[in-house]
Amino acid sequence: MNEGHLLHSNEPGPAVDLPEITRPGCAVISLNHVTREYSGHAGVVRALDSASFSIVAGEWVAITGPSGSGKSTLVNLIGCLDRPTSGELKIDNVDVTTMSAVEMDRFRADKIGFIFQQFHLIPYLTAVENVMLAQYFHSMTDEAEARRALERVGLGHRTDHLPSELSGGEQQRVCIARALINDPPILLADEPTGNLDAANQEIVAELLEDLHRNGHTIVMVTHDPEMASLAQRKIALSHGKVFCHPVGGPMVTLRSKP
Amino acid sequence: MPHLSFTGMLRRSLVHRRARSLSALVAMTVSAAIATALLTLYADLNTKLHKEFRSFGANVVITAPASKPLPPDALLRVHQAAGKDALIAEFGYAVATTDRGTSVVVAGTDFAAVRKLDSWWQVPSWPNPDDANAALPGQRAANFISDKTNLKLTFSGHPITLHSAGELRTGGDEDSRIYLPLDTFTQWTGVQPSVIEVQIPGGANTVEAAIARLRTALPEIQVQPVRELVEGESRIVDRTHALMYGAVLLIALTVAVSVLATLSASVLERRRDFALMKALGGSQTQLMALFLLEALALALAGVVLGFIIGSAAAWVISETNFHTATLPHPSVLPLVVLLNIVIAAIAALFPVRVLRGLQPAALLKGE
Repeated sequence: MNEGHLLHSNEPGPAVDLPEITRPGCAVISLNHVTREYSGHAGVVRALDSASFSIVAGEWVAITGPSGSGKSTLVNLIGCLDRPTSGELKIDNVDVTTMSAVEMDRFRADKIGFIFQQFHLIPYLTAVENVMLAQYFHSMTDEAEARRALERVGLGHRTDHLPSELSGGEQQRVCIARALINDPPILLADEPTGNLDAANQEIVAELLEDLHRNGHTIVMVTHDPEMASLAQRKIALSHGKVFCHPVGGPMVTLRSKP
Repeated sequence: MPHLSFTGMLRRSLVHRRARSLSALVAMTVSAAIATALLTLYADLNTKLHKEFRSFGANVVITAPASKPLPPDALLRVHQAAGKDALIAEFGYAVATTDRGTSVVVAGTDFAAVRKLDSWWQVPSWPNPDDANAALPGQRAANFISDKTNLKLTFSGHPITLHSAGELRTGGDEDSRIYLPLDTFTQWTGVQPSVIEVQIPGGANTVEAAIARLRTALPEIQVQPVRELVEGESRIVDRTHALMYGAVLLIALTVAVSVLATLSASVLERRRDFALMKALGGSQTQLMALFLLEALALALAGVVLGFIIGSAAAWVISETNFHTATLPHPSVLPLVVLLNIVIAAIAALFPVRVLRGLQPAALLKGE
């Protein structure tokens, strides 16, 4: 199996038929003075302090910073898993701060594909069923499509294995296939290689590069300078403040729709 | 698996965590089994307790006015008013003299009727109903007679010799009397029956209703309930009911705590699974449904197993204590289902709170 090189833009497949909104140049994520505060026994903690920046469609952005800098808070907000205390947050030009909980669930299923550091596969479901789980909560399951998604990440031969029967790298690739299955405009990767050995890190990095080449917008939280260097742009956080977000790196060219 | 369905996920989840599922299932089965057993016994309790109380003898006594016998048709009217299930025995009393010159109360009665009415009497062998001279001397009365086999008695100068069938022991006034067939008694003493004892089956209300009918049928005669027995029976039945209700409630609460612990642990250990589902777009309703239907599936499986086990337990308990079998009562099934669902619902309250407060981001980050 030729692992890790199955998502090049010259390959046919539904995963690269990106929605119109994700075309380069459009701000797919936009934060305007977004603040998130938490109340606790020690008083109010400002985890994110008036963050303002945009991420354009097709961009690969690395979010870096030390522990406690607000990276997770930012990912939660962009992933529609949390709401800002104040400020405006737009995903795909929709202000998510005004959405109801049910609308947020629906929006999240449509727009965000999550890749987690700890994979988070359901232990009693096989690889293909774990991919189908994302379809289940999005619309309806399609086993053939789920199998194709696993084939694209080089796991065509492991579709019916339980997570406990897969290596860490394979589990992460199932997680990537699950993130891609509903063709979301944004991939949100939280330390995607944090739990992997060097060989599997390389495989996952190549997969993300392929996805980027195919026009996916990737927001990646990472501590790993090597992974961060793959991104076009870094957004650095410290004490909840965004202090560095240079624009750099080449924009990808989208494969034209068939 | 060609299709990922809600029920499929539910089933796989239960099978995957089989130890936890089994633990919850056992708790729900115990609750259903105990509820089934108690409710099944409860359904038959009145009948069985009333049957037990029947062995204590009469609960209504009909007495002729002072120094007058009962009317000749009194027994017939009592039979008609008391109902076909009532046990009825007629008694006539006189004072005779023994061969030792001691006075003793002699009572004429129908041994066949008394045997049914006072089945609690301790008798070595009941007199043969065809033997006109058979007698049943009470334990104390027998002490006043020289020949305990052939009882020689005199009433107003008329002697009679009776054959003892054995000594009667009741611990009551009966021990001081000598019982003989009513016809023999009447012919010997010329005394007519003056008392009719009646055992009316049923609770206090049934007995009171029968008494009212008897009083209407026999207006000139005193009809009195044996208060201790009627009220005692009512009290015991009520207390037994209360005891059973209390037991069911206590067991239900105990099981609810056990199921609460199991379901809470089940949710707590799967918080990340639920958080993931939420991150994938699962709504609060879908996650709640997944969890609550899991609890419901366990509750209903518990009902099926518990009903079978509980019905068997009720049969054994009934057979041991009342010497009659209690068959399964399908009528208790809805109550058992309701009880188990209520237990599951109460036990699910805390886990549901956990689910509602789920913070997917923190959980999926491993915090």
